[in-house]
Amino acid sequence: MNRALMAAGLSSLVVLLLALPLIMPLAKLDISLGVTVLLFGLAAASVNLLVGYTRIMAFGNAAFFGLGAYGAALFVQYVMPNFLLAIVVGSIAGLLGALVLAPFLIRRRGIYFALLTIAFGQVFYFIAYRMTKITGGEDGMTVTRPALRLGSWSLGSHETSFYYFVLVVFLLVMLGLWYVIHSPFGRTLVAIGQNEVRVRYLGLNSDRFIFHALGISGLIAGIAGALYAMSIEFAYPLLLDWHQSGDFVMMVILGGSGTFWGPLLGSAIYAIGQNVLSSWTHAWQIIIGGLFVACVLLFPRGILGLSMRPRADIAREDEVYEPSAAPSAAAKAEAP
Amino acid sequence: MLEHLLPEIINGIVLGAFFAIVAIGLSLIMNLTGTINMAHGSFMTLAGYVAFVLVSRGTNFWYALVVAALLTMVVGILTERLLVSRLYGRLPIYSLLLTFGLSLIAEETYRLIWGPTGVPFSPPSYLLGAVPVFNAPLPSYRLVIVAALLVAMAALVLFLFKSSLGLRLRAAVQDSEMLAALGTNTRVVYTANFAIGILLAGVAGVFAAGLLGLNPTMGNELLMPAFITVVIGGMGSLTGSIVGGLLLGIAVSVTTLYVPAASELVLYLLMAVVLLIRPRGLFGEEGIFG
Amino acid sequence: MSESRLKRDSFIKLVGAAGIAASTGAPAFIPKRAKGADTLKIGANEEVTGVYAAPSRDQVRGYQMAFDEWNRKGGLLSRQIELVVEDNANNPGIGVEKARKLISQDKVTAMIGTVSSAVSIAVSNVCYEANMPLIVTGGHTDTVNGTGCHWTTYRTCHSTWMETHATGFSIAKLYGKKWYYIAPDYAYGHALLDGYKDLEPKLGVTVVGTDLTPLGTADFSAYLTKVMSAAPSCLLLMVQGDDLTNALKQCNSMGLSKRIPIAGPQAELETFWPLPPEARVGSFGFEWYYKSPLTLGNNAYAHDFVKNYTAKHKEPPTARSAFGYITANRMAAAIQTANSTDPVKISKAIADVRFNALCTADGYYRGADHQLMWPMWFGDVRASGTPDDPMDIFDIKDMQPADAIEKSVEQQSTICKMSYPS
Repeated sequence: MNRALMAAGLSSLVVLLLALPLIMPLAKLDISLGVTVLLFGLAAASVNLLVGYTRIMAFGNAAFFGLGAYGAALFVQYVMPNFLLAIVVGSIAGLLGALVLAPFLIRRRGIYFALLTIAFGQVFYFIAYRMTKITGGEDGMTVTRPALRLGSWSLGSHETSFYYFVLVVFLLVMLGLWYVIHSPFGRTLVAIGQNEVRVRYLGLNSDRFIFHALGISGLIAGIAGALYAMSIEFAYPLLLDWHQSGDFVMMVILGGSGTFWGPLLGSAIYAIGQNVLSSWTHAWQIIIGGLFVACVLLFPRGILGLSMRPRADIAREDEVYEPSAAPSAAAKAEAP
Repeated sequence: MLEHLLPEIINGIVLGAFFAIVAIGLSLIMNLTGTINMAHGSFMTLAGYVAFVLVSRGTNFWYALVVAALLTMVVGILTERLLVSRLYGRLPIYSLLLTFGLSLIAEETYRLIWGPTGVPFSPPSYLLGAVPVFNAPLPSYRLVIVAALLVAMAALVLFLFKSSLGLRLRAAVQDSEMLAALGTNTRVVYTANFAIGILLAGVAGVFAAGLLGLNPTMGNELLMPAFITVVIGGMGSLTGSIVGGLLLGIAVSVTTLYVPAASELVLYLLMAVVLLIRPRGLFGEEGIFG
Repeated sequence: MSESRLKRDSFIKLVGAAGIAASTGAPAFIPKRAKGADTLKIGANEEVTGVYAAPSRDQVRGYQMAFDEWNRKGGLLSRQIELVVEDNANNPGIGVEKARKLISQDKVTAMIGTVSSAVSIAVSNVCYEANMPLIVTGGHTDTVNGTGCHWTTYRTCHSTWMETHATGFSIAKLYGKKWYYIAPDYAYGHALLDGYKDLEPKLGVTVVGTDLTPLGTADFSAYLTKVMSAAPSCLLLMVQGDDLTNALKQCNSMGLSKRIPIAGPQAELETFWPLPPEARVGSFGFEWYYKSPLTLGNNAYAHDFVKNYTAKHKEPPTARSAFGYITANRMAAAIQTANSTDPVKISKAIADVRFNALCTADGYYRGADHQLMWPMWFGDVRASGTPDDPMDIFDIKDMQPADAIEKSVEQQSTICKMSYPS
């Protein structure tokens, strides 16, 4: 894509996002749905870093998202009702969750990695579900959104003001993510995604790179989760469940795995689609599932991936999978 | 508490038999084509509903079992031919996502057709009693399930080791390229493999419906434990699935007895431990999935 | 390139076909009223899809019947009532979004709904922040009229506390005072245990065993073996939904149901109608029933409701239908009494007004905590209905009046602190 087109696309996106509080009511949608799209978009971006760029099957990011939500919720409820600190605490909770799990996760790849992410994610889910006295368990946890104050300036309690705050955070995080992906670190992640063995033969410790990628992913998901708990003023265990992780992966695939704005697009399609469709028919889950099946079969590179010219110079690993080939050198290289 | 232990272990064996048969199906499918079938539970549920429809029209339970399993297998074959086979050669994540989407569609379809709260489905009345085993009543239905699953496993082993299609299946797992070069239509082998996995799921599904209650999410509840069984037992190993299933079933039952709060977690923790210490599982082969 | 265009074409066709199929699937449509020129909108935030779809559907049927009657009599504030139903899919996050949409976009005058406790709490918070009157139709958690109470929020169905106390009294009376608890290990189960524990000293009950079962337990045989050797005078089985179905089936197949009475805090027709006869065992609390002298008595209004509902839907009303009918009626009545769409006036008009609660006693939404005070019943589940009504599977045996089974106003005032805006 040439630069002019990219710049035009980016500016129209920014204008669209800025004007969203005016556009959504035209479709009879509340702006809080826009907040959801942005925050799920961030969560999907955290998944995209792993699934899209590094090509590891991360199915447990809802755990970090949920840790962010509960971190913020517990902080407001039991420590102090401070908006900014709650977000910080939630984000750190997501980061810590990833750092605790990463030493275990980096030791495996492929389907084993995916299963480990699901397993550990479920552990957090059960903890949230079980500790009824602290987290409210199945009944969830109310989070009364504290007013956001910075010195003498205060963000109004209006939902639109909250949306703009989230938009600012979203753009900042995406900016940070842009730098990460285009840094040498990020390029190494992409290289790992294409051929991890080659990267290791070049002398780089791919485990360490994946470790840091998990940390960044957990942090971003934690930020998204903390803000989400503030948005709906509620935290509940389903946010940690692996079906939620599956939804985030779905958004990445729909929008375009490995593209920068794919996660946001996928989040928009999923969240808005679900919201609008469920107002019209009981069968909305069939439609969403059908869309997803069609996507996986017909355009697995996602919607944004369609617009990308297939890069003939780089062999795509996902198209050269041989299940019954002899054990690969990669497996031997990483066997303990 | 110790007098409860023995009947508990027997319960665990019954549970384990379920895990095993579902795991074998999953493992067969995963092993040959790298397909992770998240819709396996949906096939089980489908078989349950088909059997329900037949039985409510007056059909005999066993007849309904056979027909339901076969019909479900046909649906499985169609699914494989039309959808799943297009993803052969790709990373397993795509088959995982495809079948995940299919399971969502299936669940909602069942809900729309048969309602969200489940339908009454019972084994025949002569199976509803209990047999005293070591001073604890063991429901006869469960004994029948274990017997039936043993029969199914024996039939599978016979098929794999005594029939020519079974021979080709085992050959395909080792090296399907070579098999194709030797003149076998590997597409037929892949389809047959998938079909057998679904057939087993269908049988398990009808029995599970009688035991657990038939509702749109019935099969999905057994899916996670079955995946964990495959991981623990070892992918690509039938023995592993059986042993892993029994182990897991007993672990769950015994944990339920002593530490009920941990009985859901024990599945996941066991899997995590196995994955970290011996990722190929108890009987698995190294390097198939990294 | 042409190959991917072909694929794109087929995708578009697929989506188009799916869209057409979905929109022509008439029974799958969520009911929406024909829009009149100027209607008075009331929003229903319901679990249309998901595990609670059946009770939710019956609640919505109750709303529709009530609003149809109001509209036939001329509507509300000289406008026709328009019921706007939104699906929260049993997910609190979606429930919040839908609530906000109903408030800001549909501009509803009032909101009703929910079955799930978590969704009830989340939606109640949203309505509080938006000054929107809300009646929670079917969410049972004590939080709604307890620590999470708000001046905007009322609740129709019984609280968890009421469930345990109503059944506790009846169980002690009919089945003795040596109890074994099997409770689900999540918030609802813990609340039930707290409720029964409160009764232990008051009734002189001894507890011979307690088991907390994990969510989604398919296999209760371990617990049931323990129960049989502990030999209580009654097994209190507090699990719900599919867990309850499995447990009851297994009680039957292990022969337990013949030896030890089984009782539970609450049962619903939506759960028990689909069960096979051998799982229809036990005695439970019932929040309302369509066919019993103990529930309906000589209440002509109640009998009419049953008759009209059965004629329209070809099956009798459930407790959920009654919740819906009562909720919709009381919300409309309050709006009419307030003669305005002002939320404070509407909310104040709901409280402490006695009305016909479709049963042998009047009901009223208590001012202290906004909980509907009406009786609860206890009885057995029949394996099959009566000879002339196969759907009549509950056999009501006992009744407990409202004031005996909920916390007193004094007790609640330490838990629920609500104040109206001045």
